[in-house]
Amino acid sequence: MTISHHPPDELIADFATGRLDEANHLVVAVHLTQCPACRRFAGAMEHLAGAALEASEPVSMRADAFEAVLAKLDQPQPAPRAEVSSPSTLPDEDLPEILRRCRFGKQRRVAPGLKMQPIILPSASQSRAFLLWSAPGARMLQHSHSGTELTCVLKGSFSHEAGRYGPGDFDFGDGEVDHQPVVGPEEPCLCVVAMTGDLELHGLLGRMISPFVRL
Amino acid sequence: MNAGLPVLSRSVRSKPSVPVRPWIRLQRTPFERPKATVEWAELIGRVAAHGDRDAFRLLFEHFAPRVKGLLMKIGTDRETAEEIAQNTLLAVWRKAAQFDPSSGGAAAWIFTIARNLRIDAARRAMRQARADQPDAVDDADDIVESPEMLMTRSEDVSRVAAALLRLSDEQSKVVRMSFIEERPHAEIAEVLGIPLGTVKSRIRLAMNRLRDLLDEPT
Ligand SMILES: [Zn+2]
Repeated sequence: MTISHHPPDELIADFATGRLDEANHLVVAVHLTQCPACRRFAGAMEHLAGAALEASEPVSMRADAFEAVLAKLDQPQPAPRAEVSSPSTLPDEDLPEILRRCRFGKQRRVAPGLKMQPIILPSASQSRAFLLWSAPGARMLQHSHSGTELTCVLKGSFSHEAGRYGPGDFDFGDGEVDHQPVVGPEEPCLCVVAMTGDLELHGLLGRMISPFVRL
Repeated sequence: MNAGLPVLSRSVRSKPSVPVRPWIRLQRTPFERPKATVEWAELIGRVAAHGDRDAFRLLFEHFAPRVKGLLMKIGTDRETAEEIAQNTLLAVWRKAAQFDPSSGGAAAWIFTIARNLRIDAARRAMRQARADQPDAVDDADDIVESPEMLMTRSEDVSRVAAALLRLSDEQSKVVRMSFIEERPHAEIAEVLGIPLGTVKSRIRLAMNRLRDLLDEPT
């Protein structure tokens, strides 16, 4: 897999320092599992954050803090709750491990050749995440965003003005872009998407169907 | 660079970052202090090997107040910061065996623990705020990491550490100030005593160099 589109540096730094909203965090994490270069970059940001920790101004702990922690040292640890969905309930059998751990909502068709399935993230505050399938060769509706759209390709490909996006590639869209992706002809395209704000559809068809499209 | 991505800070983040007040510090980087780095790693090793409580106390006394300080600086309230700092050190005790001493990054490792706990705390608060979605699983002692956190320790830590060592001191400082501490460029200019115009170009150069160094095979 050759990855040629990566998240902006700021986004990876925000990921590494834990500043991203849950849905955005998830989609960046999916890219990192596929991309060694960005994983190293995130690791470098963690090292620099360690430097910031070393240099940070200490603030006194409560007087009983150490004793309180000592008292807990020998208590049994809570069991990890990493329930992985059973394969039969997964929306796609080839999902990366990190997505296999997610819970999914109901799959639904949003337009001809386009279906989506929400990822249930109970604490996402502003963004929402979903899987998006589009049919081979489909020309997506021209759209722009009032917020941001973070996309990581899992299968297939799409292309727009900025190039071709295959498995592992990451597309960062913000309010400035107004693009019209075309799905590659080889197979259906599966992406994981995090979106904030609303999608704005353009063109006659977009205006006609936008009341029915709710991503 | 930051100015080029206004949307990023506006809506990608979980909450708006709190303005950082100016303060003068960070005269040293940990990379200049190999002795200290080895020492912390050693202490963690002693905790892992034989549950050494004296070693643990030293780790606690050094790191807990710094975790608390760093969290408060980025906008966490005092109470929550105290709790996360305690739980961070508790996790250091429990996970000591998972620490890789060759990574040379005891502070980075502890940072990632604190970061994950802070994310968990924020998510828990968000769930609790949504009265319609009670989540019985969570309680205060739950320090289980969120699943998507588990992969962030990169498998090639030594490569990362080597790359950072080759970054010049001023380059790593400028990257840290801008990307980790999120100080405004004007403040970075003031702290480093360089013209504002130089800050931007230095950050860009440093980031490019870091990317290059990280891509070099070892
Ligand atoms: Zn990448």
